Amino acid sequence: MILTVTLNPTLDKFYWVDRLPLSLERVEEEILIRARKASSSAGGKGINVSVFLACMGLETVAMGFLAGHTGQIILRDVLARGVTANFVWIEGETRTNVTIIERGREYHPVKIHEEGPPVPKRAVELFLRKYQRMLKRAEYVVLGGALPPGIPVDFYRELASLAREQGLRTVVHAGGAALKAALEAGPYFVKPDVREASQVADLPAKTEQEIIAAGKYTMEKGVQVCLISHHVTGDILITPEGVWELQARVPLSRYKNLVGADDALVAGVLYRLVEGDPLLDAVKFGMAAAIASAEIEPKLCLAKPAIEQEMKEVEVVRKEGG
Amino acid sequence: MKAREFMRRDLTSVELDTTVAEVIYLMEQSGLSSLPVLDDEGVLVGVISEKDLIRAALPGYLEMLHSASFLPSLNQLTRRLREMADQPVSEYMRSDVIFVRPDDEDLQIADTLIRHELKQVPVVDEQGHLVGVIRRIDLLYHLI
Repeated sequence: MILTVTLNPTLDKFYWVDRLPLSLERVEEEILIRARKASSSAGGKGINVSVFLACMGLETVAMGFLAGHTGQIILRDVLARGVTANFVWIEGETRTNVTIIERGREYHPVKIHEEGPPVPKRAVELFLRKYQRMLKRAEYVVLGGALPPGIPVDFYRELASLAREQGLRTVVHAGGAALKAALEAGPYFVKPDVREASQVADLPAKTEQEIIAAGKYTMEKGVQVCLISHHVTGDILITPEGVWELQARVPLSRYKNLVGADDALVAGVLYRLVEGDPLLDAVKFGMAAAIASAEIEPKLCLAKPAIEQEMKEVEVVRKEGG
Repeated sequence: MKAREFMRRDLTSVELDTTVAEVIYLMEQSGLSSLPVLDDEGVLVGVISEKDLIRAALPGYLEMLHSASFLPSLNQLTRRLREMADQPVSEYMRSDVIFVRPDDEDLQIADTLIRHELKQVPVVDEQGHLVGVIRRIDLLYHLI
């Protein structure tokens, strides 16, 4: 069983529009933008990973905090997709994240992210008890996404340490201070979120050399697999054995929705690792899952044949080692 | 069809030391009328329902489940519920839990729900771990 933790889940709401106003400045009247299409689904990094894995036939349990009407919608969606749900309910309303995708500029969406409800101390205690119980049944633990208000910044470190004590492999798919703290627990696999700041544990991670240096820093902390985004269509894989660049030979114009592509990558890698594939093959499948997801309007591509087809578009180049 | 194919994979549950106030809060938030009670190992050891709480708050007046017309006010219920609020659920849960297994057939599950007049039944694996729940509506939805 693969346990995923999404402390700050979201209802991902998408609007596809023909055109956004060029500028919101000097507008005297209200702006009405008509969406030609809309959709919503349960989200947050861990939940997205669970949805992907459940669709591939793996047993997965999603944990975290839910609240209010939005929480009910998320629970219903998660259950409908074959994921086992084990959430702690809190007061307030689970957040909604809005993405506006303009025709012709699909790779530059406009996003509005809510902060999410604060998590009370008692809810954290309840969560930890449930989490420790679920660890006894898990093979892998995925810790994903932003921390909600009320959660200490080193919470992922605590969760990763508890998983490690049980001999489990932990995947951390997060950024900023949460990732930096989690590295101290030596997780197995990290996928730093570099969307807001091109940094990994305060180290710059924009150029190829910076990314490789940041990846090697995570190795010093005990990480075995580090995947860092390099441009929109590429990733750099750093392991103790070497460094590889993965490049998708797909023009930007083919992308329809980039939200969730990173989560498909992590889920794809994990799926193939659980199935027993070697790391490089697993990473190639993960990259293909990310491309396939970005090429369709729904958040995640859950069709295995389509993902396998995309593997032809993934180029893997060894940069260092071996 | 087997339970595992149409059960609701929702592990919403409480623990032996969860307070009555927390149980009521969770029932309200989750929309569930009864909750499984688990021990430290995640093994199902009891079930707590709205009915159990009312029975505990107003012993001997179970008829109020059908009509509250005989009560002058709900003050007695309020006072008793407040007294119970900080007490652990283990004081009020039912330990003689009726459950089904993931491989039980739908007909067998329908029989369990009808015979015991249950709104929902927990699904537990061979180790006693909660793995899901089947509500009456899940069965109806599955059968239609």
